[in-house]
Amino acid sequence: MFVLSGYDAFLGFLLISAAVPVLALVTNKLLAPKSRAGERELTYESGMEPIGGAWIQFNIRYYMFALVFVIFDVETVFLYPWAVAFHRLGLLAFIEALIFIAILVVALAYAWRKGALEWS
Amino acid sequence: MTIASFTQLICFSILSITLVLGALGVVLLPNIVYSAFLLGGVFLSVAGLYLLLNASFVAAAQVLVYVGAVNVLILFAIMLVNKKENLAAVPGLPLRRVLSGLVCGGLLALLIRVAFTTPWALPGPSPVGEEATIRIGEHLFSDYLLPFELASVLLLMAMIGAIVLARRDVFSSDIVTGAPVDQGLIEKARTPLLVQNPVQEPVR
Repeated sequence: MFVLSGYDAFLGFLLISAAVPVLALVTNKLLAPKSRAGERELTYESGMEPIGGAWIQFNIRYYMFALVFVIFDVETVFLYPWAVAFHRLGLLAFIEALIFIAILVVALAYAWRKGALEWS
Repeated sequence: MTIASFTQLICFSILSITLVLGALGVVLLPNIVYSAFLLGGVFLSVAGLYLLLNASFVAAAQVLVYVGAVNVLILFAIMLVNKKENLAAVPGLPLRRVLSGLVCGGLLALLIRVAFTTPWALPGPSPVGEEATIRIGEHLFSDYLLPFELASVLLLMAMIGAIVLARRDVFSSDIVTGAPVDQGLIEKARTPLLVQNPVQEPVR
């Protein structure tokens, strides 16, 4: 039943993407000097020296952006089958999808109006 | 055993082992951040299982929604809650463990019974790949149209609820002082993007 047909490219991509971090770490292990002194032991923080602990409280606004992202992520999932079956569905489905998008545009307008999209 | 079924067996074994170990790690690890990242791994393994069942659309939706969005939300929630509490031992812990073990064991027995008594055979070959997605689209826009449109209303409600909950100035007057509150959602005073802890000594 399952013969991996059509998933060859996916499997290849998966293997390559799994090999990249392994190769990076192995190359680092082979090439890097074996010193353990000084800043070698620090946590890597984009080249800056880290100050304080890593457990700091983030602003709630990040959560707002994540929530807005979730809403439109789910919208994308709902619209994808429509896009794939577009030629078979016809005009009525197009209008239905427009209604769907219009309701979500109301949500976007609400978020915009309330300033949830702005970063003051 | 053909090559195809052998490949499927190997893929299924790897995915199942990853899933079970990851789920155990989510429950058992003491650090909640590790649990959250392992949960992402569990979601990915479930997506792999869907892919193995030829349900590519469900797998894509799983990766998009659960790994891409829900797990990120969970991580954000962990970052928002900064309380490092000293967890004291709960009184009556052995009794609680026995009780929860009983509940989990009963649930496991029930699920095993369901798995063995359900007739799993489907009528006819199931559509595969692109064809399955097209079938989903056709159903979504014909006989499942009302749930589809209701889903957008549900998303609208979720958005409004999230905004109302996330902002502090929902009420027209302050609960404590009774003073009127500015209804604009942008706070007038600039708050720092990272809420600073009392500065701990730098890590050296």
